[in-house]
Order: sequence, then structure tokens, then C-alpha cells
Amino acid sequence: MLEVNTLNVSYGNVQVLWDVCLKVDEGEIVALVGANGAGKTTLLNAIAGLVKPASGSVTFLGEDITGYSSNAIVERGIAYLPEGGRLFPDMSVLENLEMGAYLKNSWNKRNERLEKVYEIFPLLKERRKQLAKTLSGGERQMLAMGRSLMSGPKLGMFDELSYGMAPKLVMEAFKMLETLRDNGITVFLIEQNVKQSLEIADRAYVLENGEIVSGGSCNALLESDHVRKAYLGL
Amino acid sequence: MTSIINILVNGLILGGIYALTSVGLSMQYGVARIFNIAHGEFIMVGAFITWMLYTSFGINPLLCLVVAGPVLFILGFIVHRYLFKTLKDKTPVPTAFEGNSMLLAFGILFIIQSLGIYLWGTQIKGYSFMAYSIYLGGIRFSANRMLILFFAVFLCVLFYLFLTRTRPGKAIRAAAQDPEAASLMGVDINKMLALCFALGAMMAGFAGVLLSMAYQLQTNMGLPYTIIAIIVVVLGGLGSIPGSMLGGFILGIIGSIVNTIDPGLTLAAYYLLFMILLLVRPSGILGR
Repeated sequence: MLEVNTLNVSYGNVQVLWDVCLKVDEGEIVALVGANGAGKTTLLNAIAGLVKPASGSVTFLGEDITGYSSNAIVERGIAYLPEGGRLFPDMSVLENLEMGAYLKNSWNKRNERLEKVYEIFPLLKERRKQLAKTLSGGERQMLAMGRSLMSGPKLGMFDELSYGMAPKLVMEAFKMLETLRDNGITVFLIEQNVKQSLEIADRAYVLENGEIVSGGSCNALLESDHVRKAYLGL
Repeated sequence: MTSIINILVNGLILGGIYALTSVGLSMQYGVARIFNIAHGEFIMVGAFITWMLYTSFGINPLLCLVVAGPVLFILGFIVHRYLFKTLKDKTPVPTAFEGNSMLLAFGILFIIQSLGIYLWGTQIKGYSFMAYSIYLGGIRFSANRMLILFFAVFLCVLFYLFLTRTRPGKAIRAAAQDPEAASLMGVDINKMLALCFALGAMMAGFAGVLLSMAYQLQTNMGLPYTIIAIIVVVLGGLGSIPGSMLGGFILGIIGSIVNTIDPGLTLAAYYLLFMILLLVRPSGILGR
């Protein structure tokens, strides 16, 4: 579904990503794990069209989308939930969700999609008139996830879903990802929270200093010496 | 009693015009980060289009709203597309863009003003339209000014509904709060910025049409209106549209009160208020 081929990204003279290759197949939950500063967010930004890669390509459903603008990429069916959710603080819960369905095709279907999102997150329905900035951390994350569903994406990319969340909420957030998959959305998440993301994902890649150092099934990674030592403290 | 009501009504009329001139500027700054010093020139163009159409062709000034609005929308769109957009591409640092856009707006101010002088000269212009009195509850009001108040409020409310109820309106507000997140929703930011600037110019044009019905016109009238709009925008809170509307009416009423003491003191009173505000509450009444 999503294929990243020998992608290189630089900020000025500093190269952040080096020949990154990975793929995500339909119906999978794939995690990209790595330490802070490894280049995880940069990779998502490059896929989502917020950063232009220096070389390499990104292919989605067989179409080369390298260098497309971010709005063109949403249109192709990729929803990106950036770190911290990036809600519109002075808009209501409902308006935030509506913005998720901004694209013409989605806008006409916004009411059915709204019902679906309310079904998955009933709390959002209760809070629909509240301004986003008045929500608690967990509710915000819920709204951010709900908003990313409003475009009717085929692939959802989630950046640090667990960031700043209480441990109990982290489990819930990860469970939501499974709900999304059950609703036909392929999930690509990036996480510092290595253990839990490896437990929930089907496959994972490990990114270190801008390079993919290993990848494979999560079970295999959980057993590998390198991952155990570097990320699980075992 | 009668005089108090008169002062208030005059304040509301002035306030309506101020509100109308400020919402556009507020949005241009709030969304596009352009501090448009040339804003008043769009008001001047709107006013002179109306004067020209009325005195040369006898076209009803109210009909001019439908003419001047689109003309200024297109003018604003072109100015953004070919000047501010190009500047933005050349200055990627946001703070540098804010400074440079103000300098660019200065240039636009002088160019539009010079063209205005070339076309319409420097003399004071004016025309008389609905220049009769109407009596409400025994108090005398001038008909054209009441019309101005009505349309100013009507257009402000329409603009507010556009921003809060429609798809492009919501996109404009989202882009003001977080442009990058808005683009992840599929909003074409460049298109939105051009739309914002064009709408701001259109609102200025509407203000020009309305004020030409009761006030004198001159090709150098733009800058004072820009300055008043800046005061109103700061008063209401930068980027807050309801704040600008409220700020416009507050300033209008203050202006009307000071005007009864001595008309020459009005601008001084505005500046005094502006300075106090900057020192005491720089975020404005409804600012964040």
C-alpha cells in the first residue's frame, strides 16, 4: 500500500534520513520505533508532504506521490495525526471534526462519517459544542484520532500517540488503533514507547540516526538482542 | 436626553464603518500575517468608484456595493497573488515576512494613492444621497446615516456567519489557528491566504461605498482609516473578528462623544486610548 524507497531528507546541510526503505501493506498495523531525534517525525512529515525529500520516492497505492503538497496527499487517502494532535484550539469539537472532512468528497459525507466517529468515541458527541482547548489530554487525543478519520482515510499515520498520556490512557489509545484496523484502516504509527507498540503492531522497523537498522515481525524484534538491549532495557 | 441619543446613534454609525473597515484588516493579519498598511486605500477606491458611478451615471450607491465588492475582491486577489505570495516565497522566515510585508504594503499604499490622485484629483468630493431626515420617536436622524448603520451591521453579521457557518469560512479560521494542521486536513493554504486577502479588500471596499454616502471623500483619505482600523484591531484583540466588530463600535462611540466636545480632539483621543491599551492590555478586549 505504502512504499518508501531510498528516501533521503536534509534540513539545510544536515541530513536527517539516509536511504530509508519501508513498506506498509493493507490491513496491517506497522510501527516505526526509535529514540528521540532518530528522524521518525521527519519521515512522516516527508510522507505527508510537509517536507520535500532530497531524493528517493514515496509510492501510495501504486501512485508516485513524492513531493506532492500535503493537501494533495490527504486527498489520496492518507491521514496524518501529528505529534500533540494539533487540534484547532478555538474551534469546537464538532468544528474540528468537520475540518477533518474538509475535502470536497468528504464534506458531502461529513454527517455519516460524524455518526461513525461518534460511535467509536461516544464522548466526543457529548462534548461536541465544547472548544477543543477546554478538553483534557486524553479527550484531545480522542478528538485528534476522530478528526483524522473524518477524511475517510485508507491509511492513518500516527505520531507519538502516547506522548504525554497517563499509562492507562496509553493502553486505551493503542486499543483504538486496533478498532481503526477493524474499521478497514491501515495503521502506521511511530513511537518512542517501544514495548507497547511492538505488542500491538504486526510488523515494526527500528530507526536509528536516520537509518533503518532492522525490521520484521514484532515477535522477532522483541526477541532480538539489539532491540532488547537498546530499547527494552533487558 | 435627545442629545445623548444623538451622540450614541452617531457613535454607532461611525462604529459601524469602523467595524466594517477593521474586520478585513484583522483577518488579513490573523490569517495571512500581512500587516496591510494599504488597507485604507481599498476603502478609498471603493468610495471613489461609488462617487464616479453616482455622479456620472446616476447609479444608486447601494447598487455600487455589488459593483465595488467584486472589483475590490479581484484587486485584492491580484495584489496577493503577484505581490505578497511572491514575497512569501522569497522570505521563508515568518517574522521576516511580517516585516517585509508591511514595507511592501507601504509601496502599494503610495501606488494606489497616486493612481487615485491621477484619476480623481486631490479636491474634496462628495454627493448627496438620501440627504433628508427621518423622525423616530420624535428624534431626528439623517436617513443616509441610518442606512449606513443598517448595512454596516448587516455586512458584518454576514461576514461573521460566513466565517463560522461555511466550509471556506471554517477553513480560514482553522488556517489562522494552525496553518500546517489545516493543510493536513486538505486545505490549500495558498488559496486560502489569497481568499483572505481578497475578502479583506472587499470588506474595505464595502466600507468605502457606505461612507461615501454621508462623508466627504478625498484621495488621501485612506491612511487615516488604516490607522483607525489598526487601533480597532488592537482594541478588539489581534485576529479576533468579533473583537474587531466590538472594538469598532466602542471606538465609534468614544469618537462621537469627543466630537461633541471638540472635533479636533477625536484623533488625539483615539491615539490616547491606543497607547493606554498597548500599555495596559496589549492583547485587546477579546484577545487571547
